Amino acid sequence: MWVFIALAVLTIIEYFAGIYVQSPVLLFILALIKAALIVQFFMHIYRLWREEGSHA
Amino acid sequence: MSATTVEHGHAPDEAHGHELPYAAQLRSNRLGLWLFCFSEIFLFAALLAARFALWNEPNVGITRPELSQELGLITTSVLLISSYFVFRGETAMEHGDRKTFLSSFMLASLLGALFFIGVVVFEWNVFGLEGSLGGIELFGHLRPTDGVYGGVFFAMTGMHSIHVVTGIILLLVVWNNGRKGSFSAEKHWGVEAAAIYWHYVDVVWVFFYPALYLIGTAV
Repeated sequence: MWVFIALAVLTIIEYFAGIYVQSPVLLFILALIKAALIVQFFMHIYRLWREEGSHA
Repeated sequence: MSATTVEHGHAPDEAHGHELPYAAQLRSNRLGLWLFCFSEIFLFAALLAARFALWNEPNVGITRPELSQELGLITTSVLLISSYFVFRGETAMEHGDRKTFLSSFMLASLLGALFFIGVVVFEWNVFGLEGSLGGIELFGHLRPTDGVYGGVFFAMTGMHSIHVVTGIILLLVVWNNGRKGSFSAEKHWGVEAAAIYWHYVDVVWVFFYPALYLIGTAV
């Protein structure tokens, strides 16, 4: 749940940063952080390197 | 998918002739799906590169079309919430909670459909509607024929929407298989695969959203 909250907060920050700060670098960094959170915690990329093949 | 093994009643991890043990099969499936996701990066990266190369004015720098910021934020939030429900559904299946898995995947499919409607009906405005709600412009005005802005915008959102539609179909197929009892806490590759694909579609939008709506000077 905390990952979802973090993503929601980052999206709101992104929205206001896009309107008021207008820094492409900042927006790209925010997008990278969001993508990393999804890939790690929602997509479970770490399971790729596991020896045993289980879902959990 | 895991359905084959469960439905035919084989013992866990039991190899039958040419069949791989479930654990080995799962590792191969995972690697295959991730390779597919990796290959798709090139497609979406090319679209992003086109956006930054073409939405660029000599004396202005990076530009973007004038789009409804509120609509962009709403559709992005809907996709994010759907991603959460897919995660919730997959976690529920890991714990053998079929009821929560089914409700979560169904909800995620509906939210995915809502995102699709948000893009096609509201942003693309395929029906040529007009209107606003509380000062928020509800319908887009950009056309595919509006030069590089229209062309790139429709190419990016169109390619992403195709993936959203296939993702919704995949979620519903998995939901239906889950309803029939094809998955268990130990074996549910179909659920995991659908979840990975759906989250991937979300990751793509994580980069598309700022590129389309936020970065650059509105022209």
